Amino acid sequence: MDQRKIKNQVANIGTPVAFFIVACSIWEIVVRAFQIPLYILPPPSAIFLEIIHQNIYLLEHTAVTLLEAATGFAIANLLAFGIAAIFAHSPFLEKGLYPYAIALKTTPIVALAPLLVLWFGTDIRSKIVAAGLISFFPVLVNATRGLRTVDEEALDLFESLAATKWQVFRLLRFPNSLPYLFSALKVSTSLSIVGAIVGEFVGANKGLGYLILISSYHLETPAMFAAIVAAALGGVAFFGLVTWAERRILVWQEPNEE
Amino acid sequence: MSLTLEVEDLTKSFGRLQVLNHVSLAVAKGEFVSIVGPSGCGKTTLLKIIGGLVMPTSGVVLLDGLSPIQRRKEGYLGFVFQKPVLLPWRRLEENVRLPLEILDNRDYSSDDRVAKVLDLLGLSGFQGAYPRQLSGGMQQRAALARVFLYEPALLLMDEPFGAVDEITRSRLNFKLLKVWEEYHSTILFVTHSIEEAILLSDRVVVFSPRPGKIQDIVTVKLNRPRSPETLELNEFHDLVRWTREKLKIR
Repeated sequence: MDQRKIKNQVANIGTPVAFFIVACSIWEIVVRAFQIPLYILPPPSAIFLEIIHQNIYLLEHTAVTLLEAATGFAIANLLAFGIAAIFAHSPFLEKGLYPYAIALKTTPIVALAPLLVLWFGTDIRSKIVAAGLISFFPVLVNATRGLRTVDEEALDLFESLAATKWQVFRLLRFPNSLPYLFSALKVSTSLSIVGAIVGEFVGANKGLGYLILISSYHLETPAMFAAIVAAALGGVAFFGLVTWAERRILVWQEPNEE
Repeated sequence: MSLTLEVEDLTKSFGRLQVLNHVSLAVAKGEFVSIVGPSGCGKTTLLKIIGGLVMPTSGVVLLDGLSPIQRRKEGYLGFVFQKPVLLPWRRLEENVRLPLEILDNRDYSSDDRVAKVLDLLGLSGFQGAYPRQLSGGMQQRAALARVFLYEPALLLMDEPFGAVDEITRSRLNFKLLKVWEEYHSTILFVTHSIEEAILLSDRVVVFSPRPGKIQDIVTVKLNRPRSPETLELNEFHDLVRWTREKLKIR
């Protein structure tokens, strides 16, 4: 049983790693065989060397972007959950405000970014707002649904015990909403990084968005790829962190044994 | 603890659909009364009105002289549904303790009392299990433990064993009798099964099809405690046949 588990885990990690190595090898071979210029498509080896070469510099910019994304994410999600709690208790407010929430959601963040920079300046604040705006809606929608779709009979059970609204919220609605909430949070992690980078494109002197833009002006494509890789890895790490928290908190959902 | 239940001239309509038609019923302290009747005859609605979850169109429900709404904050009322309605994020013992938490009742929350009710229902050793790890029968026993722990005076049970298989159902019936003999609440038990109703009850109320009204009341004079042998008695079979006849009439 245990041995099978270890075997499974090796396969879970080993298989994607093997695919990665194969894909990079093909990429490397194709670039060299067709002599594709460096500024069009650098080979993986060049990108790797660029990352090593930049090291602290790249890390600093990544940290800035992740900080913007995480701050926007945190503020937006707290706010979204609060509003969802109000929506769940007041169909009137939900009916009145929900269409506007959806309208704002469908407005592309790219269209709003210049306005945000105009309002909040070129420093970190405009990026936090952009990251927050984009990661706000998945949580609003899912938390509202999770707080509302509780078992009818569970509500009857609580009512037969004369439970207060606060008890129903704390003991029933809130825990019921957690699985919905986490699936939204996972979507929001990558969105928040998108928001931060879009904000940086419009006006910034720090962050991965700035790095990508500057490298594109100078046709430093390997540097651009290095920043893209950093953004991707940052997104994966953020996603992994939320998934880890989800596993720790939603223990009751985890299957008994694999 | 237990109480008397009085239902006086109860009528309920949902829009133009009348579901209950002048229902009057008195249940004595500690009595076990079952309600049988065809589907959609308003049995569940009656139970919900008695529990204060649904308001009647006309008529009165009194639990020892007070309304259901006045009674339920004292923990007088206990519901058991067809589904166990356990909260999936709570372990078994946490589920069983939930009503005490809601009622803010610390007198009944001692570990001894919890251990006793879990033992009576054969759940000792499963305190830490999550609902999804339990079988259907165990989940329903956990629901019974949850309701008996706070000793409601009146238990309203809506086809509590309707969703489990025949063998589990029979076991649950005797478990329920055993626990009831320990705590002696007044019980109103809705079921589709005439055998189940006769086996468990002091009286069986036979409902007519919608709009539901009381067609007949069968008094069950079988000795207690009842056991699997009760099911073999001629008197038992006579009562079942008799009740079945009543249900067909009309």
